[in-house]
Amino acid sequence: MAEAVSPTTSEKPKAPRIGVFVCHCGTNIAGSIDIDAVKEYVKTLPNVEHVNDYKYQCSMPGQSNIQEAIREKDLTGVVVAACSPRLHEPTFRAATKDGGLNPFRFEMANIREQNSWVHMHDPAGATEKAKDAIRIAVAKASLLEDLYPKSVPVEHAAMVVGAGVAGMQAALDLANSGIKTYLIEKAPSIGGRMSQLDKTFPTLDCSQCILTPKMVDVGRAENIVLMVNSEVEEVEGYIGNFDVTIRRKATGVLSPAEAEAKGIVGGGCTGCGDCDPICPVTKPNEFEMGMAPRKAIYIYHPQVVPLLYTIDWDSCVKCGLCVEACGDKKAIDLEMQDELVKVKVGTVILATGFEVFPIETKEEWGYKRYDNVITSLEFERLICASGPTGGHLVRPSDGETPMRVAFVLCAGSRDSTGVGKPYCSRFCCMYSLKHAHQIIEKIPGVMPYIFYMDIRSFGKAYEEFYYRIQDEGAKFIRGRVSNIQEDPVTKNLRVYAEDTLLGRPMELEVDMVVLAAAVQPTELTNKTRKLFGVSCSTDGWLLEAHPKLNPCGTTTAGVFVAGACQSPKDIPDSVASAEGAASAASIPIHRGEVELEPYYAMCVEEKCAGCGLCVNLCPYSALALIEKDGKTVMQVTEAKCKGCGTCGGFCPGGAIWMNHFATPQIVAQIDAFLLGGEQ
Amino acid sequence: MVTKNYPDPKLNEKLRDRYYRRDQSNPEFTKETEKLAGSMAHMCYQCGTCTGGCPSAPRSTYRIREFMRRGVLGLEEEALTDPDLWLCTTCYSCTDRCPRDLAPTDVIMAMRNLAFRRDIIPVNFLKTVTAIYASGHGVPNNDVNRAAREKLGLTRDPPTTHMYPEYIKGIRKILDHYNLKENADRIIKEREG
Ligand SMILES: Cc1cc2nc3c(=O)[nH]c(=O)nc-3n(C[C@H](O)[C@H](O)[C@H](O)COP(=O)(O)OP(=O)(O)OC[C@H]3O[C@@H](n4cnc5c(N)ncnc54)[C@H](O)[C@@H]3O)c2cc1C
Ligand code: SF4
Ligand code: SF4
Repeated sequence: MAEAVSPTTSEKPKAPRIGVFVCHCGTNIAGSIDIDAVKEYVKTLPNVEHVNDYKYQCSMPGQSNIQEAIREKDLTGVVVAACSPRLHEPTFRAATKDGGLNPFRFEMANIREQNSWVHMHDPAGATEKAKDAIRIAVAKASLLEDLYPKSVPVEHAAMVVGAGVAGMQAALDLANSGIKTYLIEKAPSIGGRMSQLDKTFPTLDCSQCILTPKMVDVGRAENIVLMVNSEVEEVEGYIGNFDVTIRRKATGVLSPAEAEAKGIVGGGCTGCGDCDPICPVTKPNEFEMGMAPRKAIYIYHPQVVPLLYTIDWDSCVKCGLCVEACGDKKAIDLEMQDELVKVKVGTVILATGFEVFPIETKEEWGYKRYDNVITSLEFERLICASGPTGGHLVRPSDGETPMRVAFVLCAGSRDSTGVGKPYCSRFCCMYSLKHAHQIIEKIPGVMPYIFYMDIRSFGKAYEEFYYRIQDEGAKFIRGRVSNIQEDPVTKNLRVYAEDTLLGRPMELEVDMVVLAAAVQPTELTNKTRKLFGVSCSTDGWLLEAHPKLNPCGTTTAGVFVAGACQSPKDIPDSVASAEGAASAASIPIHRGEVELEPYYAMCVEEKCAGCGLCVNLCPYSALALIEKDGKTVMQVTEAKCKGCGTCGGFCPGGAIWMNHFATPQIVAQIDAFLLGGEQ
Repeated sequence: MVTKNYPDPKLNEKLRDRYYRRDQSNPEFTKETEKLAGSMAHMCYQCGTCTGGCPSAPRSTYRIREFMRRGVLGLEEEALTDPDLWLCTTCYSCTDRCPRDLAPTDVIMAMRNLAFRRDIIPVNFLKTVTAIYASGHGVPNNDVNRAAREKLGLTRDPPTTHMYPEYIKGIRKILDHYNLKENADRIIKEREG
């Protein structure tokens, strides 16, 4: 057993005395696993000194049982057979510690997620499997050792990726609590989707009026370093010490500060717009959903933050006319290159929002084939006073005011065909009610028809808003739209659906159709989340650590999520989650240090041949060769090591000891499984 | 069910008990339908997309969505005895568009099969069986079609059993295997004497 002694232990290990605690989890486990049979079996296992069961092992009395047993039976290790370690490993480690043992002398056997829940129809099989799982855990617990987590300092700075309303709120909260915050936005302006909206449900306040002041606050905040036209390029490190490389895309335009840094006194872009009229290239403005033009040098709209022009290199012909127009300000640099900026932050919040699902893929509704079928986001721009039509809703085909407008709800949402999205997009019911109100308000005699399956008005004052819109005269038709046909001459649309409440098919001729299209995570989100090691659910939304108890955290320590990148969220929910994420992300920073799990690799120097093969294998660059006492040996930078085990599994001399996942421990587990109860 | 015996049958029908009660549901009917249809009829969420685009719906009382609902609840009698069951044109528009990815058309076909097991079937469907048995075609060729085909430069008869009557044998063998002709003849005789 000389092999089983780790380089950390100097004294001779005590003979193992293991306590096993079997949890019923109410009936979650006890409903399909025979707890008494399991207990009787466990008593026969080598090294087991104590066996107990309890209805809820994680409760106060359950934890006390563990503590008392450690003291009374002088245990050297604890096994709890219960749920997945995801939630309660920390709970039981704490209980183990309170009982007077090192917390890493705890091992968990998962007999719920991986057993009782999946084998609920096979109680006998489940009971046998539970015995196996506990036997394996006892084998490991017998060889566990004291470990001591290392504390590392936390960088007093944070990063927020995405500057929609969620990212802005999170950044403001962090900054206001005294933390330097880098706010990274891929677009030329902050504001996100909310800046494209006209009014906002259910209070109908003007989106610009409530958002623009916040945008200005963000632009002005001393603690916020705003980087627009920027993307995360590379991430290294871990909680407390993320080294993030940001690509600042060349915008072709210098801000006053950048100009000054280049020695251009009093220069830089003032947002005066002198360049705009002279630029010969015209392109559709994406902020206006392509319904208004912009130049190759452009701003989205006059309220952008920061107020700086940007060059769209894909369409710029480099004629240089803008450079002349800009004159002494010398703000334009047609040869500008992307810049890579490295920053160090302690924690990160992802707030990358959503985009509209390409609804033309649901061909039956004719989007992009029929002029007068538009999306809700296009509707927002058309009804918005600062939009391309000055707030006059008009038909794209002829500029006429539509008098009969159909709103198609659940367009591409709640769709299991594989073309659309299986989830509910959550805010389309409410904004479609708002849209009905907006046309009733602006167009006398107009008739909105809302085709719906269920009206989901679950938020505060939302049901009342539904009541109000129905009272204002909108017609609600309970039926999902089957298909739409265009009259080739009038460009009117015939909407086909069933009024399921009447049980009659209907054919409704309207002037315009607005599709409440499903939403999905932005394309770039996937790349960004992978850089931070954050998972997503099957539908692409970023995955929280726990949907109820840790909704802002992720499985990567120090990385949090906020707003609609996690799932469709309206503004109140986005802002609330942003404040939650900001609070969670500020905790490690304010504490100033975090404990790292002590699962790092260690070099057993007597065995190390100094071959260095492991150094290149390490995916985290945590290993190096050093000279020590006249010998070349490998050295681990513990804070960088994630305990993945790549080196440990590879080392030809067996010179690498993986703390908590050491070879003898794993071999003991395998033996326990293969040999059954025999040793 | 409460029965009221009004002398006037029309009034009796109008005032009959209309409560849905659990005993009208047969869960086996749902399962059987799903097995035959290969589609999860119980997952219908009643959006009406199917009926909205159904070519039969605006011309009749046939509502595919209602048959799906009967599938959900296992309302066997109501589904199988409703003559509307036979008004589906099998165009498959609903199957193309159903957002729950169900196949309402196949559910209707399954219900028709279950109805036929109980001899519930309109006579015109049986006459189609007889026509297929006789000629290999549900709608045999006729002189008007023959003239039209000639005009289009086609053969007067299509290259089917019309052109190769020796293959009718095979078709009959298939129909006989399922006793289709025998049953059709029997039911037609019962109904029409
Ligand atoms: C038609 C319509 C009408 C609506 N009306 C209302 C309403 O009336 N009331 C209401 O409460 N809600 C409404 N909403 C919902 C509202 O838009 C959202 O709640 C809100 O925009 C979510 O904010 P967010 O910051 O999470 O995401 P977003 O607004 O999408 O912001 C995300 C930001 O992140 C940036 N970004 C994305 N990916 C990256 C990346 N990888 N790197 C860097 N930056 C990135 C984006 O450019 C964007 O600026 C409406 C939505 C739609 C579609
Ligand atoms: S919010 Fe309403 S319209 Fe949007 S997907 Fe959900 S139910 Fe359908
Ligand atoms: S389209 Fe599908 S889900 Fe909708 S009512 Fe018809 S069968 Fe049911």
